[in-house]
Amino acid sequence: MKPLQVVGNRVLRVDGKAKVQGAALYPQDINMEGMLYGATLRSDKPHAFITIDLEEAEKIPGVVKILTAKDVTGHNHHGVLFKDHDVLCAEKVRRIGDPMAFVIGTSERIAKEALKKIKVHYQEIPAVFDPLEAMEERAPKIHGESNIIYHYKCRKGNVDEAFKACDIIVERAYQTSMVDHAFLQPEAGIAYMDEDGSVVVLAATQYPHFDQLEVAEALGLPTEKVRIINPAVGGAFGGREDITMQIHLALAAYLTGKPVKVVYGREESFYAHSKRHPIMMKYKTGATKEGKLLAMEVMLVGDTGAYASWAINVMRKAGVHAPGPYEIPNVKVDSYAVYTNNPFCGAMRGFGATQTPIGSEQQMDILARELGIDPIQFRLMNCFRVGSETANGQILHESIPLVQCIEAVKDRMFQELR
Amino acid sequence: MITKCIRPSNLEEALEQLNQQGYDGKLIAGGTDLVIEIKHHPYEKSTLIDISRLKELRFIEIGETEICIGAGTRFSDIVNHPEMKGICAGLWEACSSVGSPQIRNAGTIGGNICNGSPAADSVPPLLALDAQVIIKDTTKTRTMPLKDFYIDKGKVAIEANELLYAIKFRKPKKDEYITFEKLGLRKALAIARLSCAVFISLGDGDKIEDIRIATGAMGAYPQREEALEKLLIGEVFDAPLIEMSTQEIFNIAKQRLGSRSSAVFKCEAIQGLFGKALRRAAKEAKSYDFHQFNS
Amino acid sequence: MISISLTVNKQVYQVEVEEDLRLIDFIRDKLMLTGTKEGCGEGECGACTIIMDGKTVNSCLVMAFQAHGSRITTIEGVAKDGALHPIQQAFLDVGAVQCGFCTPGMVLSAKALLDENEVPNRHQIREGISGNLCRCTGYNKIVDAIELASSYIKEGQQDETSSSGRQ
Repeated sequence: MKPLQVVGNRVLRVDGKAKVQGAALYPQDINMEGMLYGATLRSDKPHAFITIDLEEAEKIPGVVKILTAKDVTGHNHHGVLFKDHDVLCAEKVRRIGDPMAFVIGTSERIAKEALKKIKVHYQEIPAVFDPLEAMEERAPKIHGESNIIYHYKCRKGNVDEAFKACDIIVERAYQTSMVDHAFLQPEAGIAYMDEDGSVVVLAATQYPHFDQLEVAEALGLPTEKVRIINPAVGGAFGGREDITMQIHLALAAYLTGKPVKVVYGREESFYAHSKRHPIMMKYKTGATKEGKLLAMEVMLVGDTGAYASWAINVMRKAGVHAPGPYEIPNVKVDSYAVYTNNPFCGAMRGFGATQTPIGSEQQMDILARELGIDPIQFRLMNCFRVGSETANGQILHESIPLVQCIEAVKDRMFQELR
Repeated sequence: MITKCIRPSNLEEALEQLNQQGYDGKLIAGGTDLVIEIKHHPYEKSTLIDISRLKELRFIEIGETEICIGAGTRFSDIVNHPEMKGICAGLWEACSSVGSPQIRNAGTIGGNICNGSPAADSVPPLLALDAQVIIKDTTKTRTMPLKDFYIDKGKVAIEANELLYAIKFRKPKKDEYITFEKLGLRKALAIARLSCAVFISLGDGDKIEDIRIATGAMGAYPQREEALEKLLIGEVFDAPLIEMSTQEIFNIAKQRLGSRSSAVFKCEAIQGLFGKALRRAAKEAKSYDFHQFNS
Repeated sequence: MISISLTVNKQVYQVEVEEDLRLIDFIRDKLMLTGTKEGCGEGECGACTIIMDGKTVNSCLVMAFQAHGSRITTIEGVAKDGALHPIQQAFLDVGAVQCGFCTPGMVLSAKALLDENEVPNRHQIREGISGNLCRCTGYNKIVDAIELASSYIKEGQQDETSSSGRQ
């Protein structure tokens, strides 16, 4: 057999050489002959009906066209699970930062100048920022009839009975915060019409194939008339899974016939893309005085903000991971995803699994302290091993090196203190 | 909006230009704050006068009894200076904690003072050193105490035709020491959430001959804590005195910060920060070896 | 417009620039040297780091007209005669490059550091790159790479001395 060329060998990454020389092209580094520049008008109100007056802005020399909802040639919507985003808001804005208009000008300076001349009349309506309030019947509705878009349930054993048998029960509430990916390369892109009449969008994205579908649907074109090119991507971490500028650019190139470029600054980048879901968690965990976990009841409320993005998948994953890596015979988990008028939340590293240990692990520490058991010992007594059954009924047949991991950490941790 | 740029080739020309431009003129040195203002906000002035390359503003003079630092001196000039760390540790520590290497290579001590930020790193140690600012215009030079230079947040006592030329202070002697402590969200690139500098002069039997305390980000601008200083001068430095003084700085912070949202955190934090700066200053002032360079 | 003359990557430029133009915009949009990146526009991320008169600065915090008379090195000027600089080679060898957007700034901060201190310890390296953010959080690899680069540079000098000795 020939020796392996790749497996087991150090391989230089294909884009490495270009990147160390500054030669790798990210979307903001790409320029085209005769290109126009875009700038996005974003809402500064969290919940309002809008009317937009372009008259003054359109008069500025160098402004080629200003796109609003009525210029969208196909369906004015996009979204990874639900099509709940407008490409450009038609009637209502649901968060600060919602895109309302897209100015196309001969220079970036002109496009940005024109933004200031667009008059938006906001008719503000009550907004809701607290996901618990948003779950109430009387809360202002962000989309449709209810703000609750998902409810994951996990039931194992009988927690009510089990809590009666516990010698100790710890009940606490925990709250995680909204987090931005802050990938180092702010969003940028350029779109143009190809010789064969296709729209080509160059943008840093995690999902060129989804982007193609979304652009095609919004422009009313068959997918074969839409090409997405992914140049170098300056970090993403989940933050480039949702559409930001791709459809605006495609539409601008499609309607003007010219290449159109847009570059977000850091501040606009914060407005444009998703965040990590902040999760409100209520934990009730019970154990025997010997330190055996018997029951856990958890309620999670994830604030997905104005748009669903991946909320359902994220809050399902949060629900599945809520009990932590411990064998607990009686578990009840309710995990909700809720709309509010906050910035929208979606994918970010861990996808819901990152938040719940804030709750479940602090529960373990508090229980250990109250029981007078070493917190590491307490975890070793209860943690998953080969053959364990998770709360949602999965039997773990192999590869559960948690005990080894805890012991290795324990040895190293205390070595430094010694 | 900026429509005019001037690059004077010497100090005299810079003062002349500043005088001519009047209210429209704005001096730019390191630019680490100003360029952000110009780029991201509507900027009211129209003319930039670049003093970043004026050699006459970039110097560190260490005399027998006095130290004088040109306003155009960059933080990295101070950090890399062979003697500054030994002579005035607190000022050196503050300058080392500014921004990042890139910011310290561009940012100047004069800019730090004139921006009037409550969180300016170099200002509390300069206040604790009882520094004087030297201000020039085309016709005259005036000197005033730095502690009187601050009027309000972002406001300093300098006229549109004036330029901060230099900062001077008495060189610390044997038995004297200055420290600086800062709380930021992380080590680099963190604006001070709170900072504190302590200058102490210890006499026989650990008697506090003189003490000057300054705080940053604990009010509208960096300031001297003279009420607290008065309580400590002449006293013997010992554990009960430390306890009394940290309690006192808590009271001062509480009164000054009132109902600001940061008050709870800052009132708690300033005690630890000040206590640390005070203990370290006293410990170093007592160690004879430290001031070998001065003998 | 104001006229400036400066040297970028050993090439002299004499150009007219807008009064409110930042140095980063001059480098990226006028000289088309797009290896210098803009990550934040306010000096927090270091992606726009260049070496100006021997010192690293954030090119997003310098006005273009202030660069008159200066000598600038951008990432495009680091490699010599088509051969990677030892720092660039070390970044590749160690795998210190992920998304790559911080890489040009990191390489220049590393260069400024190694130009002043040929054999920095890990603490000094961390201090040296403390003005550069990497959001892929590959800091350890980057520190490894700079350590390796330091040894490459020393080896290179030995090679030069020994080869010149032979001649």
